[in-house]
Amino acid sequence: MRHGLASVSRGGWIAGLGLLAWLGFIGAAHALPAYARQTGQACVACHVSFPELTPYGRMFKLSGYTIGKRQDLPLATMAQFGVTSVKNNRDDQGQKIVPKTNQPVLSAASVFAAGKITDNIGGWIQWTYNNLATDSAGGTVGHSGIDNTDLRVVGRSENTDQTDMRWLYGFTIHNNPTVQDVWNSTPAFGFPFTVPPNGIAAAAATLLDGALAQQVAGTGGYVYWNRSVYVELTGYQTADGFFSPLRAGQDIHTAGGVHRLSGVNPYWRVAYNREWGSNSLMVGTYGAKFRLYPDNTMPFTPTDSYTDIAVDAQFQHISDPHTYTFQFTRIREKQDYRASYPATLAGSPIGVGPTPANADDTLTTDKFKATYYFERKYGATLALFRTHGTTDPGLYGPGSVGGSANGSPDTDGYIVELDYLPLQNLRLMLQYYGYTKFNGARSNYDGSGRPAGDNNTLFVNVWLVY
Amino acid sequence: MTRVKSRCRWISALLLCVVATAAGAQSTIASDDVAIKLASQVCSSCHGPGGNSISPTFPKLAGQQQAYLVAQIQAFKSGGRGEQEAHDYMLGMTTLIDDATAAALARYFARQPPPPGVSTDPALMAAGRKLFTQGVADRVVPCANCHGDRAQGNGIFPRLAGQHAPYIVRQLKVIQGNLRNSPVMHGIIKDLTPEEMNEVAAYLQSL
Repeated sequence: MRHGLASVSRGGWIAGLGLLAWLGFIGAAHALPAYARQTGQACVACHVSFPELTPYGRMFKLSGYTIGKRQDLPLATMAQFGVTSVKNNRDDQGQKIVPKTNQPVLSAASVFAAGKITDNIGGWIQWTYNNLATDSAGGTVGHSGIDNTDLRVVGRSENTDQTDMRWLYGFTIHNNPTVQDVWNSTPAFGFPFTVPPNGIAAAAATLLDGALAQQVAGTGGYVYWNRSVYVELTGYQTADGFFSPLRAGQDIHTAGGVHRLSGVNPYWRVAYNREWGSNSLMVGTYGAKFRLYPDNTMPFTPTDSYTDIAVDAQFQHISDPHTYTFQFTRIREKQDYRASYPATLAGSPIGVGPTPANADDTLTTDKFKATYYFERKYGATLALFRTHGTTDPGLYGPGSVGGSANGSPDTDGYIVELDYLPLQNLRLMLQYYGYTKFNGARSNYDGSGRPAGDNNTLFVNVWLVY
Repeated sequence: MTRVKSRCRWISALLLCVVATAAGAQSTIASDDVAIKLASQVCSSCHGPGGNSISPTFPKLAGQQQAYLVAQIQAFKSGGRGEQEAHDYMLGMTTLIDDATAAALARYFARQPPPPGVSTDPALMAAGRKLFTQGVADRVVPCANCHGDRAQGNGIFPRLAGQHAPYIVRQLKVIQGNLRNSPVMHGIIKDLTPEEMNEVAAYLQSL
């Protein structure tokens, strides 16, 4: 056994040294991830602080990640290592809620294949190892699967005096609604950019707000005119068949797990962008209409209909030494339970649900975030979030910690984050979630005596990209 | 016979010259096409349409001196410009282009019409004008001596007219701190005060 451990340890050392040598080798060009190596530019050229994009970063993304020189080894890595602490991490039975709190843990590591393929084709594929995936017994296990992915084919044309781009257009295949968007007010790359692993989540969220990530294939086209008007149309379908690599690693066989869409579901996006001095402003709208099977393992039943309509805005002032940015979005979702509700009413719910008590509900999420950075190194962010919707005891029933005593999905809170980036690719962060209302109430929200504030969470995290 | 041979030689030489010139022109045209694409699709993201940048982090390049532009591209490549922005934004971009493209880009930006100046505080601009045209006795020679009466630049000496004031101040500090390899300019402005930098930058931006 000792011998075995020693050889594992020796093997680990050799692998570790090999990795270091490789990092040293690729770092020799520029000690930054794949795109930085491709363009030779620093992270700050494209990011306010990763992953929030600068105006140039937006152009780089819309240009299909094709600016620069194709790399022989277009790889990058990312790891997160942190400590999570929940104010009261015991439920009313004294059971631990969030596993592995109050101790440093490697939460996740990713490998990216990212970059230019030709002058018109580029993209990125992220593969993530989640070290703290939860199993059915409530413990943690290691699990790997595909993460955000975006592949593009683009084209451009110049204006008549050959001074600027008139049209920038492209085609994208991706696996998470809004991951293709270039403004950080939309959900996929909205704040918070990373969250405590297995943190306590509120009962309700709109479908556009992350619920379909790594489950769908989005195929869409966009045009960006005169760097001012952006229009996109994308269709989302469950990533089956040819598209199944886009959801690799997802458990699609457990009822009540991931979501399953029927057919191709439309998503649209219109944004107006303006830049002046060190400032940029965007106001926009986006939305989608989804047909969703009530039970993801029964793709033959009638479907419920979800209509999401959102408005968003972003302002950025990027200069030296002061940088400040603001993002806002409101997503309003109309949930039409045209399949679930009659079935529930008739006493024969479809599969495991949902089993709504109303024929239709609405759910509205507001998110606002303000960030300040000094020398792109020392940052502070305040975010406010609010989700309010129709009371529906069928969807939001009582239950210790995760439930709602009054059937309301209403959750209000704030996030304070402090960041220090000693290197452009290393973020040391302190994040605090405070809840003033959780699943419908401030006190005894779950019917088991738990106040919303018990879910307040502190997250200390080291986030490295290379 | 000898005359005929000699005439043939002349004709051949002439033809060669024509072909060589045509080939040269062809490659210049090809470089110019690449430069137009680069300038309008990549450079314009920071330096603005036709080199008329919007953000003061990035200099305006429209109407800039061709020789100066070529020299700066070489300086970014060689590390002669060592300020943080040069490393973060320009080092990688310039290492991707060859000398012919660099020359074509310089030609492109030099022929773009420079944007009109932007005026700010009149007192600041007046003080800056005095410094630019007359210098400071025993300390700073008049800037106009090299940069031209209207700060239009001259060959290796850059055009400064209409440039973003914060960019000019930043570069003066960078040269003062020897982060940008410019020994002559360093010697001239080594005693320039921050106030004087603001004054001359306000004046130059207004031109």
